[in-house]
Amino acid sequence: MGRLVLRRLLATIPVLVLVTSGVFSLIHLTPGDPVEAMMAESQDPVAKEAVRAQLGLDQPLYVQYVSWIGRLVQADLGRSIRNHEPVIENVTRRIRPSVQLALMAMLVSLAVSFPVGILSATHRNSPLDGFGTLFALFGICMPNFLIALLLIFFFGVTMRWLPISGYVDPLEDPLAGIRSLTLPAITLGLALAAVITRTLRSSLLEVLSEDYVRTARAKGLAERLVVRHHALKNGLIPVVTVLGLQFGTLIGGAVITEYVFALPGVGRLVVDAVFSRDYPLVQGVVLLIALGFILSNLVVDVVYGWLDPRIRYG
Amino acid sequence: MADASAPLSRQSSVLSPPSVLGPQPTAVRVRERRWVLVRRALSARFAPVGGLVVLVAVLVAVLAPVLSPYDPLQQDLANSLARPGGAHLLGTDNVGRDVLARVIFGTRVSLIAGAVSVAIAALVGSLLGLGAGYWGGRLDDVAMRLMDAVLSFPPLVLALALGAVLGAGLTGVLIALGVVYTPTFARLMRGQVLAIKARDYVEAARLLGAPNWWIVKRHVLPNAATPIVVQASLSFAFAILAEASLSFLGLGIQPPQPSWGSMINAGRGYLQQAPWIVFGPGGALFVTVLGLNFVGDAIRDALDPRLRV
Amino acid sequence: MSLTARSTRTVTRRQFLRACAFVSGGLALVVACGPQPPAPAAPKAEAPAPTAAPAQQAPAQKPAEAAKPAEAKPAAAAETPKKGGTLRVGFYVEAATMDPHLSGSKIDRQVYHNVYDPLVILDTKLQIKPNLAESWQTPDPKTIIFKLRQGVKFHDGTDLNAEAAKFNFDRMATEPKSVRKGEIANIESTSVVDPYTLKLSLKKPDSSLLASLTDRAGMMISPEIIKKKGPDLERDAAGAGAGPFQFVEWVKDDHILLKRNENYWNKEGGPYLEQIRYRPIPDDTVKLQSLQAGEIDVMDYVAPRDVAAVKADKNLVEVDVPSLAAFWYMLNGTKPPFDNKLLRQATMYAIDTEAIVKGVWLGVGVPANGPISSSSWAYDDTIKPVKRDVAMAKAKLAEAGMPNGFSFSVNTTNIPINVQELEVVKAQLAEAGITMNFNLMDGARLLAEGNAKTFEMSTYQWSGRPDPDGNTYQFFHTTPGTSLNWSGFSNPRADELLDKTREVSDQAERKKLYSEVIKILQEEAPVIFVVHPIEPKAFSPKVQAYDPIPDGMMRFKDVWLK
Repeated sequence: MGRLVLRRLLATIPVLVLVTSGVFSLIHLTPGDPVEAMMAESQDPVAKEAVRAQLGLDQPLYVQYVSWIGRLVQADLGRSIRNHEPVIENVTRRIRPSVQLALMAMLVSLAVSFPVGILSATHRNSPLDGFGTLFALFGICMPNFLIALLLIFFFGVTMRWLPISGYVDPLEDPLAGIRSLTLPAITLGLALAAVITRTLRSSLLEVLSEDYVRTARAKGLAERLVVRHHALKNGLIPVVTVLGLQFGTLIGGAVITEYVFALPGVGRLVVDAVFSRDYPLVQGVVLLIALGFILSNLVVDVVYGWLDPRIRYG
Repeated sequence: MADASAPLSRQSSVLSPPSVLGPQPTAVRVRERRWVLVRRALSARFAPVGGLVVLVAVLVAVLAPVLSPYDPLQQDLANSLARPGGAHLLGTDNVGRDVLARVIFGTRVSLIAGAVSVAIAALVGSLLGLGAGYWGGRLDDVAMRLMDAVLSFPPLVLALALGAVLGAGLTGVLIALGVVYTPTFARLMRGQVLAIKARDYVEAARLLGAPNWWIVKRHVLPNAATPIVVQASLSFAFAILAEASLSFLGLGIQPPQPSWGSMINAGRGYLQQAPWIVFGPGGALFVTVLGLNFVGDAIRDALDPRLRV
Repeated sequence: MSLTARSTRTVTRRQFLRACAFVSGGLALVVACGPQPPAPAAPKAEAPAPTAAPAQQAPAQKPAEAAKPAEAKPAAAAETPKKGGTLRVGFYVEAATMDPHLSGSKIDRQVYHNVYDPLVILDTKLQIKPNLAESWQTPDPKTIIFKLRQGVKFHDGTDLNAEAAKFNFDRMATEPKSVRKGEIANIESTSVVDPYTLKLSLKKPDSSLLASLTDRAGMMISPEIIKKKGPDLERDAAGAGAGPFQFVEWVKDDHILLKRNENYWNKEGGPYLEQIRYRPIPDDTVKLQSLQAGEIDVMDYVAPRDVAAVKADKNLVEVDVPSLAAFWYMLNGTKPPFDNKLLRQATMYAIDTEAIVKGVWLGVGVPANGPISSSSWAYDDTIKPVKRDVAMAKAKLAEAGMPNGFSFSVNTTNIPINVQELEVVKAQLAEAGITMNFNLMDGARLLAEGNAKTFEMSTYQWSGRPDPDGNTYQFFHTTPGTSLNWSGFSNPRADELLDKTREVSDQAERKKLYSEVIKILQEEAPVIFVVHPIEPKAFSPKVQAYDPIPDGMMRFKDVWLK
């Protein structure tokens, strides 16, 4: 296991090199220029050149890349061009709402997918299964900004049950915080629930057809106990996998949800940075998101291998 | 568990490819004849509905000019936001265009967006996965690390940046989505190839001196193709949704051409005063994506014999 | 100006994308796009708005009681203002920087006008009034002498005196990232005559300078803070200003918090509010819903399509005023096809701005006759917006040797109302045989292409300046190299007139000069003027005594909460 982790960590290095060069070249290739954007009202080309020089943007690209990597190696992600704040501070402040949102979305998705998934699997091909399938698919059949707007309309405007926009930190004010994240968490959670329900349903179905389950049944165990004691435990493995992988994606991938609900998360940070061509910020945030994604993958793999010793990595 | 455990699951963030296959992708043993599969797939609960929906969508796309009651670009400012009913079955939008006509023509763009981006991803991804899995070694390392890198990029940012570099418009979106979905296919294909390569009959063929291309053509591709098809049908549904998300961010088809995504995006400010602008394309999108999911699920179930309980 | 009885109407909105597009860009110009400034919701029709003038009735003068928005509100003065409370303001986009000298974003100014006091201020008629400067003299056209108010302190407790003011002017002129250089370009030198007297010596007469000093160029920052914080001032302006409210914190993409300045020099009236909390809410539907649900008290801009609904909502007060803004299409005169004047004219005549303002803007704006907004004193209502004339457009095409039309592409951002407007334009142009293709892009790219002059046609939204010079000179005066003159327009007569407007100080005479400029612009068509938008704002009825100034900036000094 230790060897595996080490190997996987080493394999991360080339991936990170690819990510850094990828994000660097992509954002620099994108037409537009941070100084132009920042000094839109200035008519003074000389001033703009001076600022470019000050930021090192007048250097050849490879020089800029090397100096960025040079600073990266010293754990310096640089500062935002736009507002001078160190990239790392930008991210640490924004990661909190993102993580909280991701966790809540997962809770929502589990609350939906567990009953639905288990019922679907145990009542395969019954109307209940059909209904469950439809229900599960609901969340991935609409663009999530539309789901968000519909939720806002019903729960925020019509019913006035929940706040519509803005973020309150649940660590500071638990009730208000959870309320502020509820609608966004449902938006994300519905889509995630679709994924989990399917995963759970098929893995349960598979487990239920395994020999040891048949044996348990043959011994005359009640179906409910079979499911609870034998099937569920093993059927959960893929669910854990999917959840782990989704977590990484949710952190940086909730851009649209963050926009609609005006939440200060990481996804919005990076998209805004792309729009203002804030090179160091885009590069830094993408790198950190990628790192988070890779690590969560690694954790999932390790946990998975540990849960199921039959798995060997080739 | 090691192999079939990982159902083809999908991601929640709309843009992300349904990539998560679990650590060890499935090698589905496909020894049945195809028609058996088809029959089994059709017997699955929602499959006929799904198939019908997809068929109708394709027909609508092809026959759009015949079916459409109006020119989808014809404006009538004086008659904007007209309610559904009467001359305009689904109402008119904010410049007085017929929503139904736009939904019908939008089918084309949405299906093309789904089909082409998935085709790009499936082709490129399969080739990479095939090469990586079959020949292994350096090629495997490079290709798979590259795929890991693409996968670890936040997908929306990747699409946004690619779209900006490639220029706005459908082409940019197709390529961007294609790139985002490629790793899924590459990983899937590689897993298939590794599993198949280890089979006795493939070993035997190799020992008998069969050339690589022959082994690939005769044994590997036929066996690996079906999971790719399943993945493609599910990715297809996602790509259609992703087109909508990208138009939210300003990437996508250029106005005034209609696509479901751009229509929903343009209409989302009118949810309160004129919800039909969104409901037309939203409904079409919902039904089509649902249909595609049914089809994908059915094929997958059919392919996995253990699920016959 | 306001919507009269249109019930369900259309018009898209700008929004999230605008938000993103412009977001951090700090693109003042672009930022102007949607949420524009309002002008006074003033009772007296202060703007000779050509078309919509009758509708002036609608806006309530001040958001007062739970009044129906439609009835003019006389009662505000009757009540005694109450101290305290937090005003929650919803904005469409995040601010860019807290340093007025570096700011190029309109949204920043909304915050600045409460934190930083300018030397002089505007009244509701756009006339310039004393503020930090008690008085000023112009002994000769090239000298301005300001007498500063004594005893004014910055929020950090340091004195606001002539020395501090000079420091500010010097910084604007020398700081590399300064965006104020253009506005103060005519200042040769600044000198301290005595501790409270500041002398500006000009290179040449500049009658637009004083108006610039009502905004960012005239906003005084504590020199101590500048020295202490350096670039950090951009995100932390604690202690920096001298305005009625002081900066507390800025949590990016979440909120900017201000608190009352207990030591504000002007003891007349407010500040009453305990705190002001600004929140960016990028989606304007969500922003309006947040207002309806009571999560915010003020929203900076109501999209035209929502105006009717907001007016009809008894629980909201709508204030609706013409702005200083002008939205137009830049035509690139430095390359084909628009280096050909005939093709520019053909395009201009093929576009029906009246139909656009009616059908897309739903009357929340007036068709533009030029760059100067209908709320400016320099607006000449005898000059009519160019009328659509398809026959004329075709004649121009034929004269240009292209009787079958031509095609070009337009750069625009994904702001829904822009897109909707251009969809209509595309259909109009098609009737004259001209083909327009869309080129959707984000704000940063639009700017880059504009500055590099690689575009063909580009949308442009200018938020406007109190002095007409700010809406004209930089766009239409010959300038080599990069500038806001994206069309590359160069006309000796226009140059001469524009120079002269800076030298003459009499408003009536300046107005005549501007009128002549506008006639040249209508003939030469370096740009196509579309609309002077109105910028409706909406309030919770508990917000009292908001007095809108036509530059659109929301000054909350005298505002209080019921």
